[in-house]
Amino acid sequence: MTAPLVRPLLKIDNLQTYFYSRSKQSFVRAVDGVSLEVGQRETVGVVGESGSGKSISALSVMGLLAAGPGVIGGSIQYNSAGVSKNLLEGLENFVEIIEENGRVMAVRKDEAGWQKHSEDLMRNLRGREITMIFQNPRASLNPYITVGEQITEAVRMHTAIKSPKEARERAIYWLEQVKIDSPRLRFNSYTSAMSGGMCQRAMIAMALSSEPSLLIADEPTTGLDATIQSKLVDLLEELKIETGISTLLISHDISVISRLSDRVAVMYGGAVVEYGPARWVLDMGATIKHPYTTALLASVPSEQKIRDKANLQTIEGDVLDTINVPAGCRFYARCNQITPEIKEKCASYHPELKEVAPGHQIRCWRFGN
Amino acid sequence: MKNYIQTTAEISDFSQLPFWQKYAWVDLLYVGYGLLIVALVLVSYVLGIFDWLPHDPQQINMDMLLAPPFSEGYWLGADFMGRDIQSRLIMGIQAYFLPGLLAISISLVVGVVLGIMSGYYGGRVETVITYFTNLVDSFPRLVLILLVVAAFKPDIYYIMMVMGITGIPAVATSIANKIRFLAQKNFIEAAIALGLRTRVIIFKHILWYNCRGLLIIKATLGMGEAILLETSLSYLGFGVQEPISSWGNMVQSGANYFLQGNFWPSTAPALAILFTILGFNLLGDGLNNILENRRGK
Amino acid sequence: MPKTILEVKQLSKHFGRHHSIFHLHSRRSDIIPAVDNVSFYLRENETMGLVGESGCGKTTVARTILRLTKPTAGKIIFDGRDITHLSDQDLRPIRKDMQLIFQDLDACLNPKMRVQDILNEAISVYERLSEAEVSKKSRVLLDQVNLKSSKLSSFPSELSGGEKRRVGIARVLAVGAKMIIADEPTSALDVSIQAQMVNLLRDLQKELGLSYLFISHDLQVVQLMSHKVAVMYLGRIVEMGLTEKIVGAARHPYTYILWSSLVEKHSHEATQTGKFDRRAAWGVFDFERPTSGCRFAPRCPVFERHGRPAECTDPANEPQLRDIGEGHQVACHFPLGS
Repeated sequence: MTAPLVRPLLKIDNLQTYFYSRSKQSFVRAVDGVSLEVGQRETVGVVGESGSGKSISALSVMGLLAAGPGVIGGSIQYNSAGVSKNLLEGLENFVEIIEENGRVMAVRKDEAGWQKHSEDLMRNLRGREITMIFQNPRASLNPYITVGEQITEAVRMHTAIKSPKEARERAIYWLEQVKIDSPRLRFNSYTSAMSGGMCQRAMIAMALSSEPSLLIADEPTTGLDATIQSKLVDLLEELKIETGISTLLISHDISVISRLSDRVAVMYGGAVVEYGPARWVLDMGATIKHPYTTALLASVPSEQKIRDKANLQTIEGDVLDTINVPAGCRFYARCNQITPEIKEKCASYHPELKEVAPGHQIRCWRFGN
Repeated sequence: MKNYIQTTAEISDFSQLPFWQKYAWVDLLYVGYGLLIVALVLVSYVLGIFDWLPHDPQQINMDMLLAPPFSEGYWLGADFMGRDIQSRLIMGIQAYFLPGLLAISISLVVGVVLGIMSGYYGGRVETVITYFTNLVDSFPRLVLILLVVAAFKPDIYYIMMVMGITGIPAVATSIANKIRFLAQKNFIEAAIALGLRTRVIIFKHILWYNCRGLLIIKATLGMGEAILLETSLSYLGFGVQEPISSWGNMVQSGANYFLQGNFWPSTAPALAILFTILGFNLLGDGLNNILENRRGK
Repeated sequence: MPKTILEVKQLSKHFGRHHSIFHLHSRRSDIIPAVDNVSFYLRENETMGLVGESGCGKTTVARTILRLTKPTAGKIIFDGRDITHLSDQDLRPIRKDMQLIFQDLDACLNPKMRVQDILNEAISVYERLSEAEVSKKSRVLLDQVNLKSSKLSSFPSELSGGEKRRVGIARVLAVGAKMIIADEPTSALDVSIQAQMVNLLRDLQKELGLSYLFISHDLQVVQLMSHKVAVMYLGRIVEMGLTEKIVGAARHPYTYILWSSLVEKHSHEATQTGKFDRRAAWGVFDFERPTSGCRFAPRCPVFERHGRPAECTDPANEPQLRDIGEGHQVACHFPLGS
């Protein structure tokens, strides 16, 4: 793990991103208290189901949110060799939050102003030092120009290489690095002629071509076949070793997360509920765990269960609706580990992240007060 | 600066806002205005049929020549022959109302049938219908109408029939395209798999739920176009002839007096045309936005 | 011996020539059939899994069985009746017994209809009931699929993924299906909701005696739910048999690779001890339409290991399904473990 004296590459602290639903006249509390770090040469996996806020967290870091109000609180500290800044610096000047009983009831935000300010902050970072790959590769690549042209464009825009010829060679180099077959042929292909797996590789090539320090991967393997997924995971593992890049990997697929991550953050209802080294967080047998993590790991069919053809262990109820957020712990309604002593607290107060072991944090009343 | 406020009321599982909050006020305004115009037209039509007019529209009254609006008994003034403008306007509606309905009925009914056959069944049927619609589409409407007028008499019903027929391709292709688009979404296939009768699938799922907006817009815009066509032809002298009033020929006959400074006899029917067509168009637009939920939730 | 509810005999479905999007690879004269000579049978109260990568023809099999498209060749015998060439008119009453749960959540529910309208419509397709009875039946259905009755007035856009799928299941139950083809029922769902879905399907099977054709590329769930499994590759069944046999003692190289990629995905250790050199196995990891002989040959590690034997590429000698004991069938010239 990273030595405590070295600053982490990315440190997200208490990020809050809200949206607003006009028809229900209510906030959608998509991200409500996300704190995690990504160190140098480290892969941090973020695991969670739909509605947990993991994708929105990534988009918040990149500053790619479309709807209002968007990011309203927290800090995102980015420390690389050349740059050290808070990507949300000055947010307080553009946002005014009115709370009631600890709950946000009204927000006033100068969205245009913040947009401009944030663009200044993100300049030279987005696409260059921090790049992102998305879930549906076909939808994220331009279908009207060839793959090669797109990567070449990225190279010319984000690196020192400006000559078209050199940029072209670089693009082909990166296509080779992502182990795409016949790179020179693929260079001239359009996305419509390529399969999902190949498009995803092309997108990874494009993201890496600017030699970033941080790669954010939002569900890179979802929607692809099992065989392609496993090969993509192989590729990401190799690239991790070869390029030394840090990755923020977001997925709902626990197996992918477990193969690639050094540290894992589990998200539920817009907040990180457990965070620590992968070995500990994904260890099914451990007792010091957040109830959601335990339940999540248990609902994946295991060898034993398949042999017994037993019914899978499920978590009662549906994934949290981020509009009707309850007052107490977000997981209260579905938790099966509530003891009488803490029941009162669980129902009324939202717990904080507490360190239960060096480097391992859990947000649960069972482990802290 | 944007303000967002959380409601303190209970948030239900589904959106239960009253309709004036659910839709953009602009759309509601359009629909409101449009409905007002439609109501006025309907009422005027009925008044016209039963002749319940303040004055006989063809009654010449030399005392009231070119009387301005708000003259006694002549609310909207009188024209150059002393005829009551208000009554003439009301009678003018007779010229386009039923014929317009005829035109849009022809377009919609035949267009829908052809569109459904083409979109739902595809294959050879589609090819034949496409040839047919392309053929009809390639005729310039106004030329065709003038030919009809020359060949037969300048009867507004003939003219509107031509308008109806030339409007078929637009409806047919829109519906066929919509069906082709919907076919990709499995719920038509799901309906077949469920065992629903073809008739039900077509009328309920395709037409009612999905083509409503399209048809409403075509109907209202069609009415607007019919009005425009009729008044234009009458203005040019090919439509309704004097002394029967049509908004078009009212504008025409008042034109001579316009340059002498008597604006009203021409302006009144022109304004009527403007506001009425605007009403139909906005009605269609607003209804379409509401039904298709265009302006977001 | 439970009754056979579905029998499929040498079913084939060809599409027009340019069906493939991989133009770069296809040679001129190929018409690759989407489904080629598929035969299997399904008994009452049984679940058969159908696995394979995308493009292998699983969904086409489902749609052809349900007569949503016409088969090019072969026979479909449902509940004793040959439905291959029945007209739509005659098919209608039979449709009620064989239903489909769609893969695409959003597209199969009309977004303009509320849940109660969707259910009411499904309930009234085949029988006429009074309003009170319809209402009662819809509540019973919601109960069966664990949906709250408050969801009745919602539109599909207001429902979560799991809920949408459950409405789809309720609709299928409403017409009283006996056999359900489930096309990727757990895809696009969260893991915890997937578990609920699997449990629900199994409970319904026990309660109502349903048969399932379970199509999925999620191998674990297929393993959990199915009594027997068929593995498809490029339109053909390459291996078929009881689940334990297919998983534990796979004979076709493709099956083996499919299942081991699952293991590799999960554990770090297994990647180190992979039986085949993965690079050789996946020289071209997306579809290359073969020209002759065994379709899997271009990707087959056994083919490489045996020094590219002529039998595998001989166009006259395409491997056919052979019974190797206990209902286990393999289509391979060099099955594993032989």
